[in-house]
Amino acid sequence: MGKLYDELSKDYRFKEGMHTCINCGTCTAICPAAEFYKYDPRKIVDTVQRKDDREIGALLKSETIWYCGECMSCVTRCPRKNGAGLVVMALRNLSVKLGYFTCSEKGRQLYPLTKALNGNILNLGYCVHPQTFAYEDHPESGPVFEWVLEHKEEVYARLGANFGKEGPGALRKIPQEDLDELKAIYDETGGTERLELVEKHSLAKAEEMGMTPEEYLKYTFNHCSPGHFNSEQ
Amino acid sequence: MKRTPSKTVLVIGGGIAGMEAAARLRQLGLQPILVEKSDHLGGHVADWHKLFPDMSEAAALVEKGAAALDGVDVRLSTEILFVNRLRSLYNVMLSSGSNVQCGAIVVATGFSLFPAEKKEEYGYGIYDHVITNADLEKWFNTGEDPRVTDDVRKVGFVHCVGSRDLKAGNTECSKVCCITAIKQAIEMKEHFPEAEIYCFYMDLRLFGKRYEDYYIKAQRDYGIHFIRGRVSEVGENIEGKVVVKAEDTLSGRPVKVTLDLLVLMAGIIRNPDPLPYDRRGRIPPKQRQSRGHHRI
Amino acid sequence: MIYKGKQKIWSDYQKEIPSDHWFYVRSCIRQSFFPASEVHFVKIMREVLGKDLYETPHHTTCGGIAYHSDTIPQETAMTIVARQFALMKEAGYKNLVTSCITSFGNYVEIIETWREFPELETRIREHLWKACKREFDVPEYVAHASDLVYKFRNEIAEKAQYRLVDKDTGEPLHIVEHIGCHYSKMFPHKGVGGAEYPCVLSGMAEAWGGNVIDYPERRHCCGFGFRQYLVKANRGYSVSNTHKKFESMEPYHPDAIITNCPGCPYFLDRWQYVISEMNGKTYGQDGHGIPVLTYEELAGLVLGYDPWDLGLQIHQVGLEPLLDKMGIPYDPKKKYLGLNEKDIMKPGLPRHLKCC
Repeated sequence: MGKLYDELSKDYRFKEGMHTCINCGTCTAICPAAEFYKYDPRKIVDTVQRKDDREIGALLKSETIWYCGECMSCVTRCPRKNGAGLVVMALRNLSVKLGYFTCSEKGRQLYPLTKALNGNILNLGYCVHPQTFAYEDHPESGPVFEWVLEHKEEVYARLGANFGKEGPGALRKIPQEDLDELKAIYDETGGTERLELVEKHSLAKAEEMGMTPEEYLKYTFNHCSPGHFNSEQ
Repeated sequence: MKRTPSKTVLVIGGGIAGMEAAARLRQLGLQPILVEKSDHLGGHVADWHKLFPDMSEAAALVEKGAAALDGVDVRLSTEILFVNRLRSLYNVMLSSGSNVQCGAIVVATGFSLFPAEKKEEYGYGIYDHVITNADLEKWFNTGEDPRVTDDVRKVGFVHCVGSRDLKAGNTECSKVCCITAIKQAIEMKEHFPEAEIYCFYMDLRLFGKRYEDYYIKAQRDYGIHFIRGRVSEVGENIEGKVVVKAEDTLSGRPVKVTLDLLVLMAGIIRNPDPLPYDRRGRIPPKQRQSRGHHRI
Repeated sequence: MIYKGKQKIWSDYQKEIPSDHWFYVRSCIRQSFFPASEVHFVKIMREVLGKDLYETPHHTTCGGIAYHSDTIPQETAMTIVARQFALMKEAGYKNLVTSCITSFGNYVEIIETWREFPELETRIREHLWKACKREFDVPEYVAHASDLVYKFRNEIAEKAQYRLVDKDTGEPLHIVEHIGCHYSKMFPHKGVGGAEYPCVLSGMAEAWGGNVIDYPERRHCCGFGFRQYLVKANRGYSVSNTHKKFESMEPYHPDAIITNCPGCPYFLDRWQYVISEMNGKTYGQDGHGIPVLTYEELAGLVLGYDPWDLGLQIHQVGLEPLLDKMGIPYDPKKKYLGLNEKDIMKPGLPRHLKCC
């Protein structure tokens, strides 16, 4: 009993966010996720504070912990200074470490997320960048952004950005030496190890699901099974 | 009456507790002095309308308490300036300029209500129809408060406003707000029989004699709804109505209710003790005037 | 609504923002979607207000989005931030100003965590040294760029060419303000006006003549939710939250929405388009949407910059209704021209949402 709880306790976000919960529901009342998903941050904090390994283990493999949007609205209100969002971050972190994230559909989305965001960071120095923002993945960006993407150089130059060029300014090219430093930081701090871990577990899951890595990447990015929403049975 | 210092007891605070203490001490043959900083007796109860759990009149209780003070030296609009210890007596300087020597002191300084505006998310002093428990009692007494309209159809009571709240700086339970909310909810229902009334609570702490019966009565006879969830935030819609968000924790779903009036059960903060204790918890003796060491 | 009550709370949460010498770090999302906002922030600070704002080409993303999408460990995120601090130290600056709210929240949270757990700061110092051979100082002050515009809102008002006033009726325009969640929800005292009634944006809107609306879902998140938008399968979360806000603000007939977070203006703008495509509903007048602006775009309009220099043409919801109300001249023919007025075609049009 309590091994997983002890593991969680090492996470600084857990130290900040997990104190004692009185189940008052202040967090859930204003949670953007609770209204749409079958999600209740209060119950997560309450489950964790029971320190039951079986229950925490189930949580780590569940869809539930992946519904939070990390807006941290819950942090403002809790009368006991808990942060459900911070507890969720620690749970997700442990779920990845233990390879449990591939047990849930929402957890498996970590694969496309990890690849896209860290690819951008390590190759370009940005989390998000027009170079890798594909309109077909983002039809909600609208016809205006489809046009922007088709005429990137022209539009960004028109708007005063320093798109892809050296020196300061918006969308400047980040020098290779700085990207090398980012890579060194990833290597030193466990970032690289994390990427490899997500890759390893994801590829194993892809194989189990009978998909190539590319198919798995696409599927996890696009597919939403029924049953996640409050409005559903 | 000749005052005997060793038989004199100073009672600080002219609320119900202080009045009761002074009256009993007098019955025991002692010589109480009742000191009250405001210009009237009765404390918070003097501003209240009716009392739980029997709906007795607050004013009658204050009157009854005052009537029992025969023979008590009552000093209104008076505060304690300083207290020090003599060999077997206390020496007390009052703001009126008089000096009292007494054998004992009773501290009955009571409480203040938590300043509800400090729970910013509830919008007290910002939204038009958010009031406190104390405001509501005043309205029961006077019928005057622009925040309470004539056509109230939906009322909410928020328990634990500034009580049991680490963030608000008061972790204590105020003990009587739960039962007060039930009393006020019943009174509101009597004023507005058509109204739906909601109590948002974390735990109902109803420990006293007949309190549970009162709770049953509120549910059974008055149809008051109890929602187990702390109110998280309050807003105002375009009609000026109050919009309240909480979780109904028993069903595990967020709820949003639009109300005509929201009453905040402002908690109780103990008033600071007026006595100057030293580190051993005793009142320090009177300082002797030191001679020859004046600094000029 | 009792305005005085809000003023009382605002007075409890005033920050002492240093007036000059800032080290500027950019926002990934804003550079991609609102590049001209950052361009104009720099311009307004340097040219209009005469401030010293320094930017090094060597700074990078803070990693905040990857961190809040749970794809990197906390120590990786902290060391990336420590590197930005090191660049600041090397450049000789002590005040940090961030373009991004996620970054702002990230920096503030990291500094607070280090304060509480100094052993973690020590570890990050070691990481940074091993990885980059750099050393850092914790900034003396961390501000969000909107804090600076708030601080100088009255100076901007003095130089205003246009005001948030309907030029025909003389009435103040109705402005909705939307604050990024990570601005003050985690640390209320780090935001101007606190967490419940922030005044960083409402202060600007009022200083420039507008009337700020407080609607029931004002404090609600725009619905970015990091993974809840970035993964296509989750975007129902994102659009549902924005939808909820629009339904709540609709009865007040807002003339514009002003935001200070990178994601919020994008979502409040694009989800209006998506909602119109989904069910034909539009929230502005006569089939238009409600214009959504960054605070720099609004400051730029007030100061008289050309709307197309400010990048308003790359919003999906047309800004023209607002420009017309404020009496700001614009040339529709130049809206979609490229550099040196080169013709680069025009975007397609939405089915329902009127865009110009």
